[in-house]
Amino acid sequence: MHYYEEFTLRTSRYEQLILITRQVLEIAARSGIRDGLVTVQSKHTTTGITVNESLECLESDIETFLSALVPEDRPYSHARMLRDYGSTAGNPTGHLKALLVGNHCHLPLQGGVPVRGGAQEIYFCEFDGPAVRTITVTVTD
Amino acid sequence: MRIDIHVHPAFYADINGDSHREGLRHRVTDIHKNGLAALEHIENKMACARLDRLTLLAQVYPEARGGAIVSNEEVRSLISLRPDLFFGMGSLDPGDPHLAETAEHALGDLGLLGLALYPCAGEFRPDDPRLEPVWSLCEQYDRPVLFHLGMTWEPGQSMAWAHPLSVEPLAMSHPKLRIGITRFGWPWVRETAALLLKYPNLYADTGVLYFDCAREFYQQTFTKDLPITWLDRSLRHQVLFGSDDPRFEQIRMAAAMETLGLRESSVELIMGENALVYLGL
Repeated sequence: MHYYEEFTLRTSRYEQLILITRQVLEIAARSGIRDGLVTVQSKHTTTGITVNESLECLESDIETFLSALVPEDRPYSHARMLRDYGSTAGNPTGHLKALLVGNHCHLPLQGGVPVRGGAQEIYFCEFDGPAVRTITVTVTD
Repeated sequence: MRIDIHVHPAFYADINGDSHREGLRHRVTDIHKNGLAALEHIENKMACARLDRLTLLAQVYPEARGGAIVSNEEVRSLISLRPDLFFGMGSLDPGDPHLAETAEHALGDLGLLGLALYPCAGEFRPDDPRLEPVWSLCEQYDRPVLFHLGMTWEPGQSMAWAHPLSVEPLAMSHPKLRIGITRFGWPWVRETAALLLKYPNLYADTGVLYFDCAREFYQQTFTKDLPITWLDRSLRHQVLFGSDDPRFEQIRMAAAMETLGLRESSVELIMGENALVYLGL
């Protein structure tokens, strides 16, 4: 048995870390499944999903660290007109940061509740905002 | 006030209730996979680009090319929804049998701040005699015209109609008419620079990004193809920040303009002060 739900976020900044733990817990509860696995996944290629401690200082460090690894001013190849879009590709850094962070996380489900460590929160990571983003949550027994 | 003078609202959610119309807009503009933008999203983008106002352009083509891709009334309706975010320019097709009435309606009744015209779509020159009554109205209302010149990406439109030098006869015959050239006339940017130098009633926007990233393309265009001193010393009162959103990268283009190496006062002129003069505000 599995249960599937999506929810959307409207991000407001170019880069943004947004807590989505609450939404995931609510969907897990709605699933009716007691024991299994929860998968949280972004449907986009310039965003990420990660689990970390929710501290302002850490959020700043994560953004600074990723920006140092993937600086805006490098001569990326993904900077050209894309015929399929009819517009310019300007978001190589978003794609590369998504590559580093990954687009999903898994959490064990016990008693209808996703199992987390005491410091673990689920983040949606925007790397090419602002945009409307969709996150999928799949609960399987 | 920081202003983007060149924004196409074709994919704003509030004017896209009709899927047939939305499909037409995708086909005509050849812009795809972009989704519809809610006003809240537009406002977020503006904040990221540090823009205070967007100038929304109506887009009226000949019927054979789709007609009113974005009508004057639709631009007016968007302004009415968020007058704190938007200015607007109307549009018309020179083949319109009621040209003067259409222009009067746009500038007078709807209160739009100028007219955006599309020579490549309509296959006309800016000095087309059919447009003479329109220029009289623009002068009467003290409103500008914005010609879509420079490379066009839209299918079925020849760039033979896109050369910026085509505005010279109009600039000569109507020295009081403020005339804008989109995309800095790219790739004919030196010709555009020469026009701006000679005719103080001419303006050019920066809404072009056909190669590379915004920073690289702006560096190439505005510091190499044109020495930056030309903008910073001679043309700084006639250049308007424009993005051609949603074709290009509004947020990154605004950031790129600030890193060109222009004097701060020149950046302020280009990012908004010149647009206020151009629009007659």
